[in-house]
Amino acid sequence: MRLPALARTTHKWLGLIIAIQAVFWTVSGLYMAAVHIDIIHGDRLVRPAPAPAIALAGLVEPGHLAHFAPGLKSARLETQLGRPVYVVDAASGKALFDAKTGQRLSPLDEAGARARAKALFAERGEIVGADLLTNNPPTEIQTRPLPLWRVEFEGAWRPTFYISPFTGELVARRHDLWRTYDFLWMFHIMDYENRSDVNNVLIRIATWMAFAGSLTGAWLLLYSFRRRRRPRKPA
Amino acid sequence: MFLIRTLHKWFGLVLGLQLLIWALSGAVMALIDHHQVSGEHALLPVAQLTSGPAPAPLATVQAAVGAPIVKLELKPLFDRWVYKASTADGVRLIDAETARPFEVDAALARTLATGRYAGAAPVARVDLVEAVTYETRKMARPVWRVAYADDAHTALFVSRATGEVLGAKTDASRLWDIAWMFHIMDYTARESFNHPLIVTVASGVTWLALSGLILLFRSFRSSDVAWLTGPFDRWSGRRARREP
Repeated sequence: MRLPALARTTHKWLGLIIAIQAVFWTVSGLYMAAVHIDIIHGDRLVRPAPAPAIALAGLVEPGHLAHFAPGLKSARLETQLGRPVYVVDAASGKALFDAKTGQRLSPLDEAGARARAKALFAERGEIVGADLLTNNPPTEIQTRPLPLWRVEFEGAWRPTFYISPFTGELVARRHDLWRTYDFLWMFHIMDYENRSDVNNVLIRIATWMAFAGSLTGAWLLLYSFRRRRRPRKPA
Repeated sequence: MFLIRTLHKWFGLVLGLQLLIWALSGAVMALIDHHQVSGEHALLPVAQLTSGPAPAPLATVQAAVGAPIVKLELKPLFDRWVYKASTADGVRLIDAETARPFEVDAALARTLATGRYAGAAPVARVDLVEAVTYETRKMARPVWRVAYADDAHTALFVSRATGEVLGAKTDASRLWDIAWMFHIMDYTARESFNHPLIVTVASGVTWLALSGLILLFRSFRSSDVAWLTGPFDRWSGRRARREP
């Protein structure tokens, strides 16, 4: 086989195998490049929580926390909904306490989850629903452990907050642009199962085939542009 | 179809090199184990202290910090309990039992890093990094860089403000980072994949891929697949002859 024919044949056959994935790669890559990552992360959905100076006088002393939560690993005094709270990590898991009274606030009830979500939401929409997820984790919370409160808002792109019932923290924020990104990411890394393994066998093979495909394409370019011949002078 | 072939050819000529770079950098990133890239193998989990804290009262902490406190954490730091007090102008570290403020100096950074280092190699050097570097671009600076004399050239990064180990970098991370730079076409900061250059090139390359897919429908003739369809053709040919 002559070289141009060989280049054409290999490019064609590699194309047959890899072309659909190449379209997936470029379309998903274009989306990821075109929509700014801060928008994807939902930064604009969240109002920065006010961090006022905490009046320490009269609060439960950190030395007493071990009585509330045996096997204390760490504790954090912060403000939630304008009230000082302790977020405690202990042998039995994480928990939330009122820093003034020592009353245990966790696990949060629906009103507590709604109030925290509402206070953090930077846009105008109202809450359309709040559910406590205890099993069947949705794909969009990835590896975060359940239970979690899911609080959905009205508004563009279906904004959704996930609030930990144990700490009152916002652990994830989602909206349709993020969901689209995650869906396209699955195609980009070719982990059609978990959308997380960037080292799977499929993508390792496919990327080298794409490399070979573009290399044979470059080779084929050598034969694809006709040089204009100089008209020969008659002898 | 002639137009699509011409466009495929010209887009390939102008943008094909970037497609080649994307495929190659993508292949490299797919080959390097992302656990090695993230440096998590080089880090031990944060050790828990066997004894609970006997922390100083809040009034003493407030006096030691001075400025109004907006957040206060009580946590283990290697071999002791500490308070980490956030104020409007930064974080202060206080020994939780003596209520004495302390700084994370080079010697302490070395101790804190080695407490989390999963390897056995000795420390090669300790530097304070204040500028943005490829390794520290996502970390709060200034940060202590504690380098170890191991094969992967592991470096652990200890925050000067909090004493926390912010991450580890190895040769795998550094190689991955170069592939990442070519992949996102941000040749200076290696940070952003949302810039006009990449959007423009990606649009063109999307067309390159799409036109290639369309061309496939015209590029194959029945003779290309004769090895596959041949036996079937012969079989159906025999059948056709047999039937009157």
